Amino acid sequence: MTAVTAIRREDLAPAFNQELNGILHLLTCGSVDDGKSTLIGRLLWDASDLYDDQRETIRRSSNAATGGAHPDFSLLLDGLVAEREQGITIDIAWRYFDTATRRFVVIDSPGHEQYTRNMASGASHADVAIMLVDARSGIKRQTRRHAAILDIVGVKRVILAVNKMDLVDWSQENFRQIEADFRELTLRFGFREAIAIPVSAVGGDNVAHKSDHMPWYTGPHLLDYLERIPARDTAARGPFRFPVQTVLRDGADFRGLAGTVASGCITVGDRITDAISGQSAHVLRIATMDRDLEIAKQGQSVALQLDMDIDVARGAVISDADNLPTVTSRFEGRIVWLWETPFDPNSGYFLRTSTDLAPISSIAIKSLLNLETLAAQPSEKCSVNDIAIASITLGRPVAIDPFASNQPTGIFLIIDALTGASVAGGVITEATTGKTDDASAFRLTRELLERGLCRDLGNGEDDRREFQRRANETALLLHAAGIPVKIEI
Amino acid sequence: MTAQLSHLDMLEAEAIHIFREAAAQFRRPVLMYSIGKDSTVLLHLARKAFWPQKPPFPLLHIDTTWKFRDMIAFRDKTVREFKLDLIVHTNEDGLKRGVNPYDYTPSVYTDVMKTQPLKQALDKYGFDAAFGGARRDEESSRAKERVFSFRSPGHRWDPRRQRPEMWNLLNGRLGPGETVRVFPLSNWTERDVWRYILREKLDVVPLYFAAQRPTIVRNGQLLVVDDDRLPLQPGEVPQMKSVRFRTLGCWPLTAAVLSTADDIESVVEETLGARTSERQGRLIDHDQAGAMERKKQEGYF
Ligand SMILES: Nc1nc2c(ncn2[C@@H]2O[C@H](COP(=O)(O)OP(=O)(O)O)[C@@H](O)[C@H]2O)c(=O)[nH]1
Repeated sequence: MTAVTAIRREDLAPAFNQELNGILHLLTCGSVDDGKSTLIGRLLWDASDLYDDQRETIRRSSNAATGGAHPDFSLLLDGLVAEREQGITIDIAWRYFDTATRRFVVIDSPGHEQYTRNMASGASHADVAIMLVDARSGIKRQTRRHAAILDIVGVKRVILAVNKMDLVDWSQENFRQIEADFRELTLRFGFREAIAIPVSAVGGDNVAHKSDHMPWYTGPHLLDYLERIPARDTAARGPFRFPVQTVLRDGADFRGLAGTVASGCITVGDRITDAISGQSAHVLRIATMDRDLEIAKQGQSVALQLDMDIDVARGAVISDADNLPTVTSRFEGRIVWLWETPFDPNSGYFLRTSTDLAPISSIAIKSLLNLETLAAQPSEKCSVNDIAIASITLGRPVAIDPFASNQPTGIFLIIDALTGASVAGGVITEATTGKTDDASAFRLTRELLERGLCRDLGNGEDDRREFQRRANETALLLHAAGIPVKIEI
Repeated sequence: MTAQLSHLDMLEAEAIHIFREAAAQFRRPVLMYSIGKDSTVLLHLARKAFWPQKPPFPLLHIDTTWKFRDMIAFRDKTVREFKLDLIVHTNEDGLKRGVNPYDYTPSVYTDVMKTQPLKQALDKYGFDAAFGGARRDEESSRAKERVFSFRSPGHRWDPRRQRPEMWNLLNGRLGPGETVRVFPLSNWTERDVWRYILREKLDVVPLYFAAQRPTIVRNGQLLVVDDDRLPLQPGEVPQMKSVRFRTLGCWPLTAAVLSTADDIESVVEETLGARTSERQGRLIDHDQAGAMERKKQEGYF
C-alpha cells in the first residue's frame, strides 16, 4: 500500500484566502474500462486536498482488478444511482479540485458511440482533453471519433494517456508505437498541442509523480503538464464583441448595456458599433457595482454606458467599430444533433446565439460527417449523435463570426420551437455576406404587426421585447404552415 | 493594470452572466432564499448583476418555522437593508398536522415542510424560474446538474431528459408546463463561497461564528437547543459549549461543530482546512444512499 501514503496536505491546499490562478477545464474521454474513473480518482487522490471522510472511504476500499493491492480510486467519481447500478457513465459529470495554484474542473464524459452528443457538449466546455487508451489495445476507431469531436467543438489541446502500462510490462516499444499512431491521427486536426503520456492509473505512475517503472520516458507527467497549460484564455484575443444581455437604468442619468465581454477588450473612449443597426458611439463608462473600470476584457461582466443613446437592446452585438462581425441571415455550420427526435424540415426551430434568438426559416442538411473516415456523406437527414454540415436561413439577420476566427461569436444552438429543447449545437463555418433575398418570402413588417397583433404595445423596453417575441412566434407559425417568412421590423 | 482574472473573478462574472440571462429569458423569476452562506453569496451576485437597479425579482423563503431565530433576524435585516421584496411561505397544512423534525423522519419532514411548500409557492405565484444556490460539488447527484435545470409539470427532475448545455449558451425556452431552476453557483465549491464572503466582506448569519451555545449530543451529533420545542430525552441536559455551524437549516436537524473560530478570517481558515465534507453536518442526507437524488426527482431542489 505504499502508493497511497505520503500525502502532505500542506503542499496540496492553497492558502485560505488565496485566489487561484484561473480555472482549467479538463475533459476526460475514453471507452468503458480504459480506466478513466481510476485515472481521475488517482489524480484527485495524489494532487488535491480531499476531505478526510472521502480519503477514509477510498482507503477502506480495494480494487478487485489488482487483486486488492490498491484502493479503488474510481469510487471518488461515483455518479447517479442509475449509473452506479448499470456501471456506466451516461451523462457528463463535473468535479472540482484545487492544486496549490490552480482550480481544475474535470468534465467526465461517456465514450460510447451512442453518447457522441454528451461528449460534444462536455467538450464544448473544455480547455484541454485527456483521451484514454488501454496500452494493450492502443488507438481505436473510437479514439479517432473522439479527436474529431474535440476538433469540431474547438478544443485546442489534447493529451493521450496510454493507461495500464503495468499490463504491458512498462514496454517502451509498445508506447512508442501508440504514440506514433497518435501523432499521425492528430495531424489531421487543428490542435495546437497534442502529447502522449504513458501512465498506470492504479499505481499512480506518471499521474502526479514520475514513474520509477519507465525511466525511458523523459516527458512531463500528467499533472505537471496540466499545471503548465495556460488557463482559459483571458488574454484579450480576437476582436471586441459584446452581446447585450439586458439594458440597466438608473433614472435619466444612466443607461447601461449589460453583458459579458465575449472576446477582445474595451477601453473607455473606444468607438463601438452595433453591428446590426450600424449605429456607432463611444464608450463613456464601464460600470460595475464595485467601481468603474478603465478597461474590460474577455470574460468580464460589466455595463457599458455610451456617449450617445443609440437604440440597442438584448441581442445586439456591440463590436469594435473597425472590425465588425458579419450580419447575415444565412450561414453554413457544422452541427451536432443532440436530441432524440430527428431533424424535421417541417418543424419550427429557433437559432440561439449568445444573446440573440431568431426564427429559422429553413435548415438544409447537406451531408453527415463520418467520424471515423472523416468523409462527408451526402444526406438530407440528421438524427441523434449525427454530425452534419448544414445550411441555415434565418427569418432576420443576426451578427456572427466564423468559428475559426472567433469562437465566442461563432457558436449557436438550434432550439425546437414547440418543446424548447436544445436539439443541436453548432459552429459557424461560413458566414454568407450580402443580401440573400428570397423574393417569394412573405414580408412580416412592423406595419402588419402594429395593425392588430401588437396594437397593445408601446415603445418601452419591455414592449419592444414583447414585439420582437410576437414577431418571432408569428414567423414560426407561418413557417409551420409552409410559408417562407422574412421579418422586417 | 488588469492582471489575469483570478478564479473567483471568473466565477463571479459567470454567475452575473447567468443571472442576466435568466432575468431576460424568463417571465417571472424568483430567488430561493434560504438565509445561509450560499444564499448570501447568491443575493450579492444578483445585486451586482442588475446594479444600479434592484434585482428584478422577489426573494422566496420557505419557512418551516424551525429555523434558528438568528436566521430569521438576519433575513429581515437583509431585506430591509437592500430594500428587497420578500415572500415567506409556510406549509400551513403541515403545521396544523403537527409535522415536526423530531417526531417524523427527516425525509417525511423535508417533504412536508420544504418540498411541498416550495412547489405550492412556485405554483401560487406562477414563478417560471427559481434561482437556487446549489453547487455541483455538493453531492454526487448534483455533479451532473445543469445551470438551467428544467422541471416537468409537477416540478419533477428527470436526470435522463436533461437538456445538453454547450459552451456558455443558455437556452431558457420552456416547453409546455415546464419550469426551471437556475443555479448561478453551479461551478463554485464550498471553499469558493467562503473565500468570496471574505473577499467581498459579506455579512453572514452569526451562527457561522463560534459562541457559547446550549448544546446536547444526540445520535452522535452536536445539536444546539434554540428554543424549548424539542422534547429532551432522559439524560439530555443542555451544556454550554463553544460551537458554530458549517451549514444552516432547521435547528433540530443541523449539527454544530466545536470551534473557537469567532470571526470571518478564522472561520474561513478553519473551513478551508476542514477535514470532512460539509454535508456530514446535515442530517437529512444520511437518510439513505442516493437520498439526495431521490429528493431532487421529487422536486426538493
Ligand atoms: N492493471 C491496471 N488496471 C487498471 C488501471 N487503470 C484502471 N484499471 C482497471 O480497469 C478497470 C476499469 O477502470 P475504470 O476506471 O472503472 O474505467 P472507466 O470505465 O474508463 O472509468 C478497473 O477494473 C480498474 O481497476 C491500470 O493502470 N492498471
